[in-house]
Amino acid sequence: MVPGAGLSLAAALDFGTLPSQVVNGVLNGAIYALIALGYTMVYGVLRLINFAHGEVYMLGAYTALFVSWAYGFRPDVPPDQLPESSLATLLVMMLASMAVCATVGVLIERFAYRPMRNQARISSLITAIGVSLLLQYGGGLFLPQNPPPTMNERVNPYRQTLELTLVGAPQQLSEAVEAARREFQAAERTFEERLKSEKDQFNLSPEGQRLRDAKFEAERRLRDAESKLNSAQVTVRVGAGRLAILVASLLLMFLLRQLVLFTPTGRAMRAVSQDFDSAALMGVNVDRIVTITFVIGSALAGAGAMMTATFLGTSITPYYGVLPGVKAFVAAVLGGIGNIPGAVLGGLLMGVAETLVIWAGYSQFADAVAFVVLIVVLLFRPGGLLGSSAVEKV
Amino acid sequence: MHVRRTIPAAVWAALIAGVLATGCSGSGDAQKQEQPSGGEAPKTSANVRPQPTAEGNKAEGDTLKIGIVVPINGDQKPWGDDALNGAQIALEDFNKQGGIPGKKVELVIGDSGSNTEQAKSAAEKLISDGVLGIIGDVTSSNTIQIAKSAFEKGVPVVSIGATNDDVTKQGANVFRVCYVDSFQGEVMAEFAYKDLGLRNVALLTDRKQAYSVGLSNNFRKHFEQLGGKIVGEEFYETKQTTFTGQLTNLKAKNPDGLFLSGYFPEVGPIVKSAKAAGLNVKFLGGDGWDSKEILNSGGEAIVGGFFCNHYNNKDTRPQVQHFLKRWKEKVGGEPGTTMAALGYDAMAVILDALKRCKSYDSKSLTAAIEETENFPGVTGDLTLKGQNGNPRKRALVVEVRPLPEGFVMRKAIEPKDLGQ
Repeated sequence: MVPGAGLSLAAALDFGTLPSQVVNGVLNGAIYALIALGYTMVYGVLRLINFAHGEVYMLGAYTALFVSWAYGFRPDVPPDQLPESSLATLLVMMLASMAVCATVGVLIERFAYRPMRNQARISSLITAIGVSLLLQYGGGLFLPQNPPPTMNERVNPYRQTLELTLVGAPQQLSEAVEAARREFQAAERTFEERLKSEKDQFNLSPEGQRLRDAKFEAERRLRDAESKLNSAQVTVRVGAGRLAILVASLLLMFLLRQLVLFTPTGRAMRAVSQDFDSAALMGVNVDRIVTITFVIGSALAGAGAMMTATFLGTSITPYYGVLPGVKAFVAAVLGGIGNIPGAVLGGLLMGVAETLVIWAGYSQFADAVAFVVLIVVLLFRPGGLLGSSAVEKV
Repeated sequence: MHVRRTIPAAVWAALIAGVLATGCSGSGDAQKQEQPSGGEAPKTSANVRPQPTAEGNKAEGDTLKIGIVVPINGDQKPWGDDALNGAQIALEDFNKQGGIPGKKVELVIGDSGSNTEQAKSAAEKLISDGVLGIIGDVTSSNTIQIAKSAFEKGVPVVSIGATNDDVTKQGANVFRVCYVDSFQGEVMAEFAYKDLGLRNVALLTDRKQAYSVGLSNNFRKHFEQLGGKIVGEEFYETKQTTFTGQLTNLKAKNPDGLFLSGYFPEVGPIVKSAKAAGLNVKFLGGDGWDSKEILNSGGEAIVGGFFCNHYNNKDTRPQVQHFLKRWKEKVGGEPGTTMAALGYDAMAVILDALKRCKSYDSKSLTAAIEETENFPGVTGDLTLKGQNGNPRKRALVVEVRPLPEGFVMRKAIEPKDLGQ
């Protein structure tokens, strides 16, 4: 690959795919937002960057995987013997992931961060990095990773693709596709008839080859017609599973908002975040609030991990949380770390920015963009988009 | 810092606006420019490889030591285990057939630990222990380190699974029993163009893997030579989790095939989301797909995909049948990865050469390996004579079928089929 060649090819942007790409970006961003909430909440309460958050996320993905195995979705089972999945299965998986992550989060806080709470802040930070590495490499000893497992797609009962046509194509183009399809089907039938008398599908007799080439010709004409139709219409395609991620994420964020704004615990959390010591003097049980913060933040990461593992089906390794963790951390800083709506906004912005870069033809730089956006925003708003940049009193 | 009392309505508004956003109509023709392809196929006999100057090791007494360096620990362990078992079976077979009268061949094991540093030190230890030759490693980067140490000491190396074109350029003592990446790129281009009738293929490349970048370039070069068109190329990175952006772009280019040159942990999820993005095309790839895990991670979408491989358990050649029988006796079941058969072949090639040696030292062993011609290996007949260490041998095109079928061999392509 020559970088120069890569730079010049973005000259022509395809505006037909822009709506799809924005939707893709929002869907990716929802996951970043969910993880970013954990960073931002812990920072808000403790002024600590919990670097082990990505590893909590990783453990959530493994938990979801193990629960799916317990349901019988093991990788060595032939497809026709797999059990049926349902919404209930998904809910059990999600609750299990959230519970495990919450427990891990609380344990980390209790044994790694609490003893450090009255030390210099840098000590806690180093501890956080230590816990992160411990979970990555410790996990490598016990968790299955050779080869990296993935969740069976049948766990997800919502596998269909939803299509929304924004700009339709002219009638004659779809008629042309239909005509080409009929021709292709005829050619295919002829070839298949012939195939019955052939020994090997990939070493054909001359007559078989002729019929196969005729089939390919018809198929190409069909493809051409389809291409014309495709280019003429603007369609947004979304996997139902990815939509489920968005809906669940929004629901969880809404619940979090209600909790922080309208419950006594939420009020105490806000108090602790405003002034740790004064809150304690006013009778807020600070330790309890910190624990609750870790429970909520880690549980959200668990939910996010369960959803990515299930609906996106990516390979799970002990380093599963590293990249999403870094991205979500950037999202949290972008939105203003310590600020809950900021984390959501930052996450969505990151997701959309990344996808737009890919849309513009620079997929090789997609990961770098997150950091470019961060630097630009911090240059103009050092506290992040929604954060306050008040100077801390020392 | 203050926590907001209310979440600004603007945030929620932005959220909803993002979902409902509609773009302008019309489509730009974002045609990729031609990219000069790297990874030129090595021209046999054109470049002369450097000859090692060191004398190498000499056999002492009646024991002939052969070293093997494979990953017995680390993330390449499944490949290392298979390769080692394969090599041991080859040695047993050799002894059963009489071996070398009056001599005993001993296999000395070194662990590369799945990383380059350990591969190098393991090779150096084996050489100082007096091995006549080394087989290993299963990956290109590790083999290059082994080859460098062995070149200094004048010891021959037969690599098991290093497909990168540059590996054998280290010196005239370096050989391999697998095909090279430029060959598998050509095989898949040929198969895509002629057997599948594809004309407009899009590439998806793992930018972080030299293997993937090289393979994509090789595929592009040969597919265009045949008259096909590469309609677009997009990039991702190892461990990336979402690919929808790249796939939406490629969908707009209307390809009839997608060549995925990366490794199986990403290829499976990519294929799944490609189907969801409306790409109902043929999926193709290289030997990076070779893991049963891809059947799970690729789900229903990967079924019907084709990739290039060295070996297949369902091959009917007598060598394969014999190998499978021996594997069942010694290890049980069927080999999980292609490295088992390649490990067997690497050992068998070195033993065959040992038999033809005039004297038992590294120098004449190197010369004898170089003389290998039409050796009936498990992974195909291979010739090393005059090939600069890169064997002339076939590659298999394998189709992915649902379990319990798994990987089914569809076609074997010999170098002569491609006019080489």
